[in-house]
Amino acid sequence: MKLTRRAVLSAGVAMPFIGRTAFAQSNTIAIGALTPQTGAGGSYGPSMVKTIRAVVDEVNAAGGVLGRKIELISENDETSPEAGVRAARKLIDVNKVSAILGTWASSVTTAVAPLCWENKVMLFTVSGADSITQLPHQGFIIRTQPTSKLQSTRIAEFLLSRGAKRTFVMSAQTPFAVSGFNTVSEVLTAAKTEVLGHVIYDPAKATFRSELEQAIKTKPDTIFFNSYTPDLTTLLRELYRLGYEGRKHTMAYAANAKLLEALPAEVTEGLTSMAPSPDVDSPVYKKVRDILGTSDPDPYSCQTYDHITMALLAIARAGESSGPAIHGAVRKISQGTGTKISSAVEGLKLIAQKTEVNYEGASGPCDFADTGDIITCKFRFDVAEAGKNRLLGIS
Amino acid sequence: MELVQILVNGLMAGTLLAIPAIGFTTIFAVLRFPNFAVGGLMAIGAYTGLVANTMGGLPLLATLPIAFMVAGLIGVGSDKLMISGLRPSGPLAAAIGTIALGLLLENALRFVFGNEFRTFNIPPVRDWRFGDLRVPPHQVENATYALVIMAVLFCFLMFTRSGKMMRAVADNPALAGLKGINAVRTTDMATFLGMGLAGIGGVLIGLDVAIDPLIGTRTMLAVFAAAVVGGLGSIPGAVLGAFIIGLGEELALLAVAPTYRTAVGFLAILLILSFRPRGLLGERRY
Repeated sequence: MKLTRRAVLSAGVAMPFIGRTAFAQSNTIAIGALTPQTGAGGSYGPSMVKTIRAVVDEVNAAGGVLGRKIELISENDETSPEAGVRAARKLIDVNKVSAILGTWASSVTTAVAPLCWENKVMLFTVSGADSITQLPHQGFIIRTQPTSKLQSTRIAEFLLSRGAKRTFVMSAQTPFAVSGFNTVSEVLTAAKTEVLGHVIYDPAKATFRSELEQAIKTKPDTIFFNSYTPDLTTLLRELYRLGYEGRKHTMAYAANAKLLEALPAEVTEGLTSMAPSPDVDSPVYKKVRDILGTSDPDPYSCQTYDHITMALLAIARAGESSGPAIHGAVRKISQGTGTKISSAVEGLKLIAQKTEVNYEGASGPCDFADTGDIITCKFRFDVAEAGKNRLLGIS
Repeated sequence: MELVQILVNGLMAGTLLAIPAIGFTTIFAVLRFPNFAVGGLMAIGAYTGLVANTMGGLPLLATLPIAFMVAGLIGVGSDKLMISGLRPSGPLAAAIGTIALGLLLENALRFVFGNEFRTFNIPPVRDWRFGDLRVPPHQVENATYALVIMAVLFCFLMFTRSGKMMRAVADNPALAGLKGINAVRTTDMATFLGMGLAGIGGVLIGLDVAIDPLIGTRTMLAVFAAAVVGGLGSIPGAVLGAFIIGLGEELALLAVAPTYRTAVGFLAILLILSFRPRGLLGERRY
């Protein structure tokens, strides 16, 4: 064969890829991070990868898993399903990862999930849409974010704990409006309290006076707003004008600082809100705080810390690094009666000694149903007082 | 008692709707085409009032003439720039042009102010209560402004030379031309007046709800329905139509969920066009 200049150049260009793939297959365990570095989720992606990398570095420094180093390949899903699928293809086909961690937007997770289960790659996600785990994923999805059903159940329990006897629900028109109401209603009626009605409103409207009058007419002692910030701003102002004095509750993403700033304090006074919370008392949470150098790390970065820890522990427990191996072992290291552990390095040592382990993470106990959904997690409850949110408690 | 509450709410809504409906019908009376840019100009008026109030610190009453002037001037300017060239091609071309103009104005507002809801800098006040009946003080205030504006407009059209000129052109453009009435000046005046009223309507509706660039578009169907029901080109008809639509939308709540309330406007247009195409007080078929 004649060695042309073109052939030499082609070989030179191809060489790093051949070497890298071969290296990834033989000596290291490849794990993919697929997070939003840009787009709507862009503010979360960088810290999500930072916690994953911290665990990888710590485990590599302690000798790796199954005697092999972990290679982390981080890709940007741009908070876009199209970019997410392209990046996932690269992680699966080129890098041969056995797990993809951290997909954030539900639309991205929904698009990437079929690639994962068809290629037997484990997908760990922080997306919340109920529909994700209803996909035929054959067990290849683990979700650390509570579903909207779990969130609705906790809201209803919280309302009961505040003394709700007659509750009215107002929901923005979303795919979760009816299912969310049904769950809240089931819990409230099971506790022998009254659910007076449900109004689904168009959040793009500029006034909700008639909708609120419909609610007030039923004389509720509690109104739950399944709303977003812009519509809640209008709803609360009109509710104040109507002279309503009862309890009002909403989601934390709606009752944010922007809302409290936009409305006079007397309008928001007493508004309670709920959000999924990391387990702030856990030693893992404190570690995540140190890694990110912040006193209040976001829930997603806590969850990705748990993703990588569970993936590595599952590989060690299964004795091999494939996607199906993680699939088969992930519940054996995250739930059950094993020794409670709070770090990958600690767990890897115990697994090497053939001791059963139960990882409890920064985001919570990390116990999963067969569907892949997290069974329980902590929630934080706040109340607006004098125009500021005050923490009521985490439970 | 519920019916009384609905009637009160309907009358309040009708009063607010009447101002932009008069603006819409005035332009139609003189120019003979439906100017759908009224929606965009309502939004311009609402944002003008908002800026004057929240940044300029002006009281509400002072924002009304400012919104009138700004919306009127932008209305005439954009009409000269974009619509007047379309008018010789017929009312359909002009009407389609005004839809485009409305969208353009709306997007200009979106570019400057963003999509978020904004509100006037007024402390919320609790409703007046009469037993179970609730009357919001700010709505009574708005309705009073609207009634005063209607009275001023009536005097302008009845007793001033400019008003009489506009009525003459609306009644018979050819005869008015023979009498030496300047058609261009009169059409400019009608556009200024109509768009200015749309601007005031935007402020009054903005006081009642939250303001975003879609505030005019959202109300436009009800405004159009009010003008059609009353009879396009008839100012008393626009007022009557506004009250009918306002009351109709509220009364519909007795039968259907609030989400479907906007269907009342569609239904009213459909019924009137089927049985009385000239509208309740309209004199001509269209």
